[in-house]
Amino acid sequence: MPNIVVLVKQVPDTYSERKLASADHTLDRASADAVLDEINERAVEEALQIKEAQGGEVTVLTVGPERATDAIRKALSMGADKAVHVSDESLHGADIIQTAKVLAKAIGTVEGYDLIIAGNESTDGVGGAIPAMLAELLGLPQLTHARKVEIDGTSVKVERETDAGRTFLEAALPAVISVGEKINDPRYPSFKGIMAAKKKPVTTLTIADLGIDASEVGLANAASQVLESAPKPPRAAGQQITDEGDGGSKIAEYLVSQKLI
Amino acid sequence: MNFVESDERLALRKAVSDLGRRYGHDYYITKAREGAHTTELWQEAGKLGYLGVNVPEEYGGGGGGIGDLAAVCEELSAAGCPLLMMVVSPAICATIIARFGTDAQKREWLPRFADGSVVMAFGITEPDAGSNSHKIVTTGRRDGGDWVLSGQKVFISGVDGADAVLIVGRTEDARTGRLKPALYIVPTDAKGFTWQKIDMDMISPDRQYTLFLDDVRLPADALVGSEDAALAQLFAGLNPERIMAASFATGIGRLAMNKATEYAKTRTVWGTPIGAHQGLAHPLADAHINIELARLMTQKAAALYDAGNDMAAGEAANMAKYAAGEAAAKAADQALQTHGGNGMASEYGLGALVLAARVGRIAPVSREMILNFVAQHSLGLPKSY
Repeated sequence: MPNIVVLVKQVPDTYSERKLASADHTLDRASADAVLDEINERAVEEALQIKEAQGGEVTVLTVGPERATDAIRKALSMGADKAVHVSDESLHGADIIQTAKVLAKAIGTVEGYDLIIAGNESTDGVGGAIPAMLAELLGLPQLTHARKVEIDGTSVKVERETDAGRTFLEAALPAVISVGEKINDPRYPSFKGIMAAKKKPVTTLTIADLGIDASEVGLANAASQVLESAPKPPRAAGQQITDEGDGGSKIAEYLVSQKLI
Repeated sequence: MNFVESDERLALRKAVSDLGRRYGHDYYITKAREGAHTTELWQEAGKLGYLGVNVPEEYGGGGGGIGDLAAVCEELSAAGCPLLMMVVSPAICATIIARFGTDAQKREWLPRFADGSVVMAFGITEPDAGSNSHKIVTTGRRDGGDWVLSGQKVFISGVDGADAVLIVGRTEDARTGRLKPALYIVPTDAKGFTWQKIDMDMISPDRQYTLFLDDVRLPADALVGSEDAALAQLFAGLNPERIMAASFATGIGRLAMNKATEYAKTRTVWGTPIGAHQGLAHPLADAHINIELARLMTQKAAALYDAGNDMAAGEAANMAKYAAGEAAAKAADQALQTHGGNGMASEYGLGALVLAARVGRIAPVSREMILNFVAQHSLGLPKSY
C-alpha cells in the first residue's frame, strides 16, 4: 500500500500570454490564467493509477502563493486524498535550489512516504532540475523522464525515455520519479470528485513551520539574478506556396530541406 | 445575495469545458453531417457524472441541482458540442421521475440517468395541439392491468438514439369522464411504436421525428407516478427544460462570439485587424452584453428552482429562455457578419450555428408564447386567446 507524494505546481496557462513582471523579472502571475501544470496532471494520474491498483494514499504537495489552492483542488478533485501547501510571501522569487530545499522539508512532514512523483519540468520555469535536486537533498534514488512506472512493495522499475533513447531503471523504495508526457492521459475530474475535493484536508505551512529562515529564501537570496529580459520575437512569417500544379512537389522539397522526409 | 457561482460550480465548468474542447465543434458538425451521433462524448461525459449531476446521490447521481446540469450543458455548447438530448433526458425526464416516479421507477431509471447510460426522449408536441397540454389527443386507456396508448407526436428529438420516450398523453378521469394529462414511459422497441425522420435544414446529430403510437400496449407501471398528479409532474419538468434551453442557447452564443472575436482579431485588411473598427467591435460588444445578461437570468432561474421556489422559477425560466434565444440568435448573426464571405463557407461552421442559435427563439416554446405569458402573468394584461 504505497504512500505517494505528488509534487504539483500552478503555472500560467500556456494558452494565455505569459509575461515576466517588469520590476523584478519574476513571473507576472496576474497577467495570465493560472492552471495546474499539465505535466503535473500526468503525475497525479500516475499516482492515482498506482493507488487504484495497490491501495495506499496520495498526498499532493505544492509551494506557491495563496491562489495555488486552485491547483491543489484540481488534483484533489481528480482523486488525491490530501494536500500540503507551503505558502509564504518570503518565497517570492525563490530559485530552484531554494524551492528544492523547501520541498524536501515539506516532504518530511508526510509520514512514511514510499514514492515521490513529479513532472519532468514545468511549462513556466522549464528548469527540469527539481526532481534531481530533491533526490539529492533527501538522499533518495532518482528515476527521471519516466514513460512507464511499475512498483511492488520494495522497489520501483521505470522505463526512462529521453532524446538519447530509452533506458530501463530499477531502484529501492523510497524513490523520486519524474514523469514525461507519454506516461499517461490524465483523467478529467468527475462531478463527485469535484464535490468531494472541498472536504479533503489541506495543511498550509509557512517556511517557519518547516524550520527555514526567511534569510535563506526569496529573490534577494537567490543564487543567480535575472538582470534583463525580453519577450521572444514574434515568429517569422511562413513561406507561402502558390499552387500552380506543382504545389505538392514544392511542399515535398521544403520538407526535404528541413530533413523531415 | 450572491452573484458568483461556488468554487465547485466553477470547477465543474472548467472540467466540462476541457472535455468539450477536446471534442470540439468540428467533431460535432462532422457527426451531424455523417448522420451519426455524438455517442462517444455522451458516454464519456456520462461516466464522469456530468450528465447525472442533478440525479439524487442515493441513485448514484451527483446530488446537485439544475444549476449544475445547466452549467454542464452551457459549457459543452460553448465548446462546440451542444448536446440537445441533455435538455430532454436528464433535465426533463430524470427530474420528473426523481420527483414523482414510483420507487420502482426510480430504482429502474435513475441509476442509468446518473451515468448517462440511458437516453430518454420526451414527446409532448402534437400536430394539432403544439405544446398545449390541454389539447393533446394522444390517449391512454386501461385494458385489464395494461395501458393501451394511441396518438401521434411531432418534432420529437433524438428518438433514434433513445431507449425510451416519456410520452405526454391523456387519460379518462374515472370520476368525471374528462380527459386529464398522464405521462407514460414508452420503450422505443414497444410493439406498435414507430417513427419517421423529419428532414430539417439544421445541422445537428440530434434529429427530429414524427412518432406514431398505434395501440401500443404498456404494463401498468409505464404510467409515471400518480394518475392524478400529472399536470404538476409535467410542469415540474418544464421549468428545467426552459433553464436548459437557455443554457444551450447562451453556450451557442458564446461559441459564436469566440469564433467572431478570434476572426476579428486575426483577419487584417489594410494593415488593421477588422476588430479594431467600431462597426464590427460595437455589435460584438453588444452581443456579449446580451449573452451575459441572459446567463445571469438563467442562473437566477436555476437558483430559484433549486431552492424549491417553482412559481418564481417559472417566470425567471421563461424570461431567461427568451433572453437567451434572442441573445444567441443575434450573436450568431453578428458572428457570421464579422466573417464576411467566410461566414457562409462550410469550413467555418457559422451557417450551422446561425440556425442552431435560431432554435432558441422557437423551442421548446416560442418567444411569442413567452411574451404572452409575461404579458398576462407578470403584467396582468388581458388574454388574447
